[in-house]
Amino acid sequence: MESVELMETENSEAEQEPPTPEIIIDDILDFKTDKGTIPDPRSVTFTIIGEDHTLGNALRYTIMLNPEVEYCGYSIPHPSEEKLNLRIQTTENITAIEALSKGLEDLRTMCDYIKEKFIKTNLKFDKKASQDEN
Amino acid sequence: MEPYTGTINSGGAKPEIKIDELTSERVKFILTNTDLSMANALRRIMIAEVATIAIDMVEFELNTSVLADEFIAHRLGLIPLDSTEAEKIKYSRECSCQGACKECSVELNLHVKCTEEDTTKDVTSRDLVSNDPRVTPIQDGLKDPGILIAKLRKGQEIKVKCIAKKGVAKEHAKWSPCAAVAFEYDPFNKLRHAHYWIEDDEKKEWPASKNAEKDFPPGDDEVFDFTAKPNRFYFEVETIGSMKPEDIVMNAFKKLLEKISSVQMGLTTNDVNAINREPPREF
Ligand SMILES: [Zn+2]
Repeated sequence: MESVELMETENSEAEQEPPTPEIIIDDILDFKTDKGTIPDPRSVTFTIIGEDHTLGNALRYTIMLNPEVEYCGYSIPHPSEEKLNLRIQTTENITAIEALSKGLEDLRTMCDYIKEKFIKTNLKFDKKASQDEN
Repeated sequence: MEPYTGTINSGGAKPEIKIDELTSERVKFILTNTDLSMANALRRIMIAEVATIAIDMVEFELNTSVLADEFIAHRLGLIPLDSTEAEKIKYSRECSCQGACKECSVELNLHVKCTEEDTTKDVTSRDLVSNDPRVTPIQDGLKDPGILIAKLRKGQEIKVKCIAKKGVAKEHAKWSPCAAVAFEYDPFNKLRHAHYWIEDDEKKEWPASKNAEKDFPPGDDEVFDFTAKPNRFYFEVETIGSMKPEDIVMNAFKKLLEKISSVQMGLTTNDVNAINREPPREF
């Protein structure tokens, strides 16, 4: 037997583990009161690690649909960093965290709904196709 | 004011999907009444985040062919393997084993030697012998000659052990289940999202796509509606054979739901809760 050589099909850099999604509060607007400065939970930038335009844009859309949200925008600071910044500013009725939770829940509802639609259409289509063949 | 209940529940037209064509290779469908960001998320996931199985490690025992080890290793990586059972296989980074085991990998062996004079012997994907019947190189019937990996002359021999692993195309394109995902909206360019470069006549130089037959052409004196948004998306998903086209779409939805769940998890478990949840009411 000749020398055994281990070889990966491509560069070994690809072996790195992709970061698991993680949320960090990046920036909160300070809110001044007569009792001092406190962070305002109605204007927050969330940093989501491991997500990109795929989730970012869709999430931005569902959050913006909420009438209690005054502003929502996202950015990817650098393309080689798996990092997503999501800025949410809300009215005084809800906090940014609540808006984000609501946005995620709405996106799930929408995604579930479209998925079910696809399953139903797919079943119907299969039946029709097999009927045509017989 | 009416309480806000969410995207689907808040009245208005609900999303619809209509399948136009479904074969073993492709699925054509129209997604309507949803946002561009949602349609684009689906497209991006189908291309880059639906998990499949592909050869990731190659151990060379013998290679006397004219091709270099890394060249052959790269070609092996690109061979589509049946990934319909990919869900049941673990990512090796999530597996408790060191390196590779039955739960997170599949072993494929290749041993070919040319013994005939004056002919070349083709080494193809059909020569790969898998230790897992669920994960084999794809083959379109018995007449399919397989995918060419290398050609051998008399006396030349290749003997390798391949380890196939689960992965996504975000890491390496070999894991993509799609050959192509065609995506279009607004074939008549009513929204003016495209700026056509023309010499004389826009209509002559930019004929409408096939999808225009299923869309609504603008009226002759239709005024540009700057508030209009795209809401009709034409998809055509073509598989490389490792997965059924309808399964690619289904797995994409599942993956999107998983992504939402993991962010929701992050929201409950992280230091997010450390910040004050009660907004300051005094101004
Ligand atoms: Zn393992």
